[in-house]
Amino acid sequence: MTFPARYTGNELNAAVVDHDSARASILLAFPDVYEVGMSYIGFKILYSIVNSREGFIAERAFAPWPDMEEAMRTHGIPLYGLESLSEARRFDLIGFTLQYELSYSNVVNMLDLAGVPRLAAERRDGDPVIVAGGPCVANPEPVADFFDLFALGDGEELIVDIMETTARAKEDGVDRDQLVRRLAAIPGMYCPALGNAAVRRVVTDLDAAEYPEKFIVPFLDTVHDRVVLEVMRGCCRGCRFCQAGMIYRPVRERSLPVLCEQAERLVASTGYEEMGLLSLSTADYTGIQELARKLVQEYGPQGVAVSLPSLRVDSFSIALAREVEGARARRTGLTFAPEAGTQRMRDIINKGVTEEDLMSAAADAFRSGWEQIKLYFMIGLPYETDEDVIGIAELARKVLDLGRRIAGERGKAGRVRVNATVSSFVPKPHTPFQWHAQDSIEEILRKQQLLKEPTRVRGLSVSFHDVMQSHLEAAFARGDRSLGAVISKAVDLGCRFDGWVEHFRPDLWKQAFESQGLSPESFANRAYSFDEALPWDKVNMGVSKAFLRREAELAAQGITTEDCREGRCTGCGACFGDVRVRLQGEFGLAASPSDGEGAGTGAGTGGAV
Amino acid sequence: MARVRAQARAQGVQSEMRYRLRLAKLESAVFVSHLGTMRAFERAVRRARLPVAYTEGYHPHPKYSFATALGVGMTSEAEYVDIELIDRADSPVGSRAVLEAVGRELPPGLSVLAVAQVMEGSRTGLASGIRWASYRVEISLGMALAAAELLGQASFEIEIAGKGGKKTVDVRPMVRCAAPQGRALEFTIACGGRAHLRPGDFLSALGSIAGEKVRTDGFGVHRTGLFFEVESRLVAPEAHECTDLVIAAGL
Ligand code: SF4
Repeated sequence: MTFPARYTGNELNAAVVDHDSARASILLAFPDVYEVGMSYIGFKILYSIVNSREGFIAERAFAPWPDMEEAMRTHGIPLYGLESLSEARRFDLIGFTLQYELSYSNVVNMLDLAGVPRLAAERRDGDPVIVAGGPCVANPEPVADFFDLFALGDGEELIVDIMETTARAKEDGVDRDQLVRRLAAIPGMYCPALGNAAVRRVVTDLDAAEYPEKFIVPFLDTVHDRVVLEVMRGCCRGCRFCQAGMIYRPVRERSLPVLCEQAERLVASTGYEEMGLLSLSTADYTGIQELARKLVQEYGPQGVAVSLPSLRVDSFSIALAREVEGARARRTGLTFAPEAGTQRMRDIINKGVTEEDLMSAAADAFRSGWEQIKLYFMIGLPYETDEDVIGIAELARKVLDLGRRIAGERGKAGRVRVNATVSSFVPKPHTPFQWHAQDSIEEILRKQQLLKEPTRVRGLSVSFHDVMQSHLEAAFARGDRSLGAVISKAVDLGCRFDGWVEHFRPDLWKQAFESQGLSPESFANRAYSFDEALPWDKVNMGVSKAFLRREAELAAQGITTEDCREGRCTGCGACFGDVRVRLQGEFGLAASPSDGEGAGTGAGTGGAV
Repeated sequence: MARVRAQARAQGVQSEMRYRLRLAKLESAVFVSHLGTMRAFERAVRRARLPVAYTEGYHPHPKYSFATALGVGMTSEAEYVDIELIDRADSPVGSRAVLEAVGRELPPGLSVLAVAQVMEGSRTGLASGIRWASYRVEISLGMALAAAELLGQASFEIEIAGKGGKKTVDVRPMVRCAAPQGRALEFTIACGGRAHLRPGDFLSALGSIAGEKVRTDGFGVHRTGLFFEVESRLVAPEAHECTDLVIAAGL
């Protein structure tokens, strides 16, 4: 058995639960391994909100690695909650976090292991209600067969409503059907069986939103094993390919005093040696310098390192990284995400980075002693030409040459390394590019080939994302309800952990699609027209379709749209009522102590400088 | 910070004091790796807000030294770690306070059994000084007889799988004693850099004599002690060049 500590629970700060006295219970299920699931802040937030309330309990379950699954099946052990080892069927609700389309096979497999009928339509009284949340609910249709309900948007307030409604329904003694109907009536809940239109929930004021006072401290290394401070939610830069940048709007910052208090409490309750500042673009946080300085001053001497996982491509960010992460960062290298190789392409995707920005940031980095730079790019973007693709290689070489020149002055030219990671564009729902087709597999492979020759240079390396994985990701991102049968079939054929290259079985997926008379191409490589209904029209993630369409048209003309945070609203539709851009400087005016929540972010870490 | 510390040292107000902790690893933590245990301990010390001495430099880390790793699957009442605290010469933190503070913060599955102050000038390093380890495991009668037989021989060679493939090793000099106690066998074998015998290999040696198949993955094995060797006697680390020994209640 690999890493048995994944399955034993009992970690520091894990909740002690008592099912007998609980009014309502939820099993928070993450369809990937423990180490991945335990790294998501949204998961921690929900767990803490539920367990901090009298009468509600939340336990955790993760996808068992195939060796554990086999053991569970051989010994007839059902999926269980890590806190009390209670079997999944005992819970009133099972809530899945959908972070990634390629975890859908794990969802179905976990339902099997739980002994819960896969199809919502086949569940009866006594079966738990199966709910999903997370960014993938932006298009619930491909997995609509498997879920009774989808929870849209920020989770802090929504989870409390869900628990309370469930508790009341139980107290009233209503049947399962009625419970589902009552849950569907909560704002932000979408029920595929009822087909109700639903609008995502938004936390207006992040300071008032609940944040965990303690994190569970795992015994094994998780992906992000540290104190996490969510400095802000949302990003208004408006990159047209970025789903997170659309569905978490508007920008809401947490104030410095609240963040410092959270830092203090979390260091004291976890003893972690690292603290990460999380958001979609941390250098955009208006108090970043002051916050970073404070934290480094306070916790550096206690052996707690501060890290900045998602920075921008500019000199400010380099200076900040140098100040905050110092020698540690220089060891691990810097990451920049210009995303595209030519200015024309960057304008189309609205990535506000120029070649000068990149070069001056890179120059600063090399001068400060960094020798390794990682560059993130995408190919297959809308309106892309071969020149744009080759532009990636040219840009990477320019960065390499610059590094050689600067490092050469101290005799270290040979140590400079530039790694370009090139992923394939996946059109996502609720973005301006949602109508666009993904490039065909052959086309992407051809473009990858175009890049290989001009990057065959010492000191430069290129790596590509798996084409088939991106292809399937696009199919599930943009598909409709007919995909449920395909996913079900794929699980029967043995598909699991599709996001893990070592487990991904494109041959079985092909078979699964064929068995239903469908193909991934018909979803991934199909363009939708502006006038036709989209499978995800029922769910409203805040940004209006009209805005997305205007952005799509501007993209076609290569016209950029500015960031709205400095006051010029560009009319995306995310703000209404109390929901508006909130920057930390203005605090003191706004705080209305509503119940907070924030299952949102979690997508942010691992971003780019 | 570093400068302040150096000044304080120069004035004789503060000094770095080494404390030695003896920890237990219980059944519920057997799946936790050695690395995981070390990290859990470090975090507990940070939560305990003890005045730990940090290394100097941009990213200070606490000054710790752990004794020999325990294999996954084993329980133990003899995990040792030395930590350095910045102590006031006139009012030291003291072993009792360390025991209580760390004891309060350790995660489920780990507990502190004893704390002592290592005397100034002690030259025995914790990790480098360990020579022997004792273990307890439940065994069959046949295995108990096999132990007696092994001890009766001048040498006993077995094949041991190591990093560079299989090697034939004479294990007899690495077995100090092996005494059946009820249904358990308590045995003391070489441990540390100079000579090291894994409990699993010892048990499979007994198995080969007894003609029994035995579990060698560590499950069911309980470590009862780690020892320095002083004038050919076994001495527990907390009893060697230490003062202010405090033992947890209930032991
Ligand atoms: S509605 Fe206007 S201000 Fe609010 S997020 Fe959208 S563009 Fe920005």
